Amino acid sequence: MRLGLWTCAAFAALTIVGCGSGDKGGDAGATPSSTTADKTGGTASGSLPLVVFSQANSADPWRQQFDAETKAAAEANNKAFKFEEQAAEDDPNKQISQIDTLMLESPKVLLVSPAEVSVGTAIEKAYDKGVGVVLLDRGIPGDKYTVHIGGDNVDIGKQAAEYIVKRLNGKGIVLMIQGKGGADATNDRRNGAMDVFKKNPGITVIAGDDCKYQRQAAQSYMETFLQGGKPFDAVYAHNDEMAIGAYQAYEHAATKPKNKPIFVGVDGCQQEVVQMIKDGKLDATFRYPDPGPKGIEVAADILKGNKPKDKKIVLPTEIVTKENADKYLADHPGLAK
Amino acid sequence: MPQLTGIRRILPTLQKYQGLVGLVLLLLVALFDTPHTDAKDALFHSVFFSVGNLRNVLDQLAVPGCLAIGATFVILVGGIDLSAGSALGLLNCVCATWLVHGASTPWTICYVLFIGTVIGAILGAIIGFTKLQPFVVTLAGMVSLRGIAFVYTNNANISGLKGQIAFFESPWLGIPVAGWTLLATTAIGSVVLAKTVFGRRVYAIGGNSEAARYAGVPVDRVRTGAFAVNGFCIALAAILFTARNTNGQPSAGLGYELDAITAAVVGGTALVGGYGNVIGTFVGALFIVCLNVLIILDGVSYYVGQGWKGVIILLAVYLQNFGRRV
Repeated sequence: MRLGLWTCAAFAALTIVGCGSGDKGGDAGATPSSTTADKTGGTASGSLPLVVFSQANSADPWRQQFDAETKAAAEANNKAFKFEEQAAEDDPNKQISQIDTLMLESPKVLLVSPAEVSVGTAIEKAYDKGVGVVLLDRGIPGDKYTVHIGGDNVDIGKQAAEYIVKRLNGKGIVLMIQGKGGADATNDRRNGAMDVFKKNPGITVIAGDDCKYQRQAAQSYMETFLQGGKPFDAVYAHNDEMAIGAYQAYEHAATKPKNKPIFVGVDGCQQEVVQMIKDGKLDATFRYPDPGPKGIEVAADILKGNKPKDKKIVLPTEIVTKENADKYLADHPGLAK
Repeated sequence: MPQLTGIRRILPTLQKYQGLVGLVLLLLVALFDTPHTDAKDALFHSVFFSVGNLRNVLDQLAVPGCLAIGATFVILVGGIDLSAGSALGLLNCVCATWLVHGASTPWTICYVLFIGTVIGAILGAIIGFTKLQPFVVTLAGMVSLRGIAFVYTNNANISGLKGQIAFFESPWLGIPVAGWTLLATTAIGSVVLAKTVFGRRVYAIGGNSEAARYAGVPVDRVRTGAFAVNGFCIALAAILFTARNTNGQPSAGLGYELDAITAAVVGGTALVGGYGNVIGTFVGALFIVCLNVLIILDGVSYYVGQGWKGVIILLAVYLQNFGRRV
């Protein structure tokens, strides 16, 4: 009896991994080229080229939208290639392991958003094997990749600052709530904006705390800042989550500036943010474009034998304000909830 | 019930090798369930049983394997080490900094191993001195060492290694040197536990530290020794980690202490101490890495895999206690 339980438990473990084959069978069955779905899952998938995607993490809203749109784009191409994704919880060591393992399946294209430049070792190995490498968002040093697709954070910082300067008529105090220290995105979003602010002598910038791109941290910081009673006319947060946090602190604060300050964020990847802009709570956000769909498009091109001409594809940003919020929502159905 | 006596006889054996039983089951699954390949160097035409994957698995196994072997020593004396991940991060930064600043490779390796051993010994000594729970002391270590890693590096990654320790990643007789390092560590650890006075005292303390004290075992010193061995293993893991990642990150190794404990537990080491061995831990770590690889090869989502992994760990521990109750 009890030994029976033991073996039962062991077989439970067995079926766990077995469920993977179920998924695979389902995928293969969906493609018209495969005749028998289950047992020959492996060989059936061999008839379609494989595209693998190694995602740095799937935790924050921007990455969630990135994942969702990438999957949707891959789904639309499921007659051209098979698609597999793994996420690495922002641990470069884990991501190296995942890429090494994915390479055993002999994919034709590797889409990868590296957690860190050190993932480059695994990426370079894949590139040397002749796999097409498409870097998404974050890059790696060197030139051992096919193409790098990403947004331009310096430009986003510039546009955000220009918007704020215009709204303030060139005069006022801007509180800048900062993202994670040391991250490229933080430096670019700050430096791009500072270039513009410095050209406007009427603008004073207060460098806020490092709130690590987190809503909660920005909210706590803003609560403390408002307690101090210093005047300010605009808040520029390096992402929307922090802009929301800052706004929530402002909304509930006992002492507020006389006029409602302008709140500007970056990313534009959440329905919540667009809704808040529609409600007049936040003023604007700048879309940090999600490179997933473009990456899938490029991967499909590579499979057809057309390598992209440029090593770097820069995706343009879009401003979201009250005026175009509805259109923005309609244009981007994949926004995070 | 004559049947039960039969089971009673089998259970301890099954239990001792429970990690192995799991591993064999896993390999069976892999046989029927991985993508096929036509490469000549693959057994059964399975990607999982290819030479490439053997290298891949050993490459991935080296760091968590070394950590898990260290953790086994600590768990055997009835302790736990929550600071392993933070220590790995710090030592990773120390190793990278020394190499980037032009220190010779052998000296760097010796220095990192030394620092690691000292950190471990200090933690062990603090536990002996303050009589605090190992959980609390190493929790404090986890927080402090992580902080020190960030201070040490000025909150930046250390890059610019010129392949001084890349030899760990290159193969020797078909297996990466990192893999050989782990195999050697396992063998030495196993001999130390089974054949030396220190090893027997480790088991004695874990079994019943009061009884061991009355029997004349210097409990605090042996415990400090076990933590020092753990520190050495962490340092070794940190060097292999540096070789693999080719840079130093103060945030490296976040949560690795739990992976190490998991490997030990799946490998049959009892968290109360006094029961388990290094080979079991090796098999436990191998089981987890094989499971990770299989999950990826089968195209199962990472998060789904994580969910199931928890279930497997729970089962492993349950089975362990289950046997002891019979």
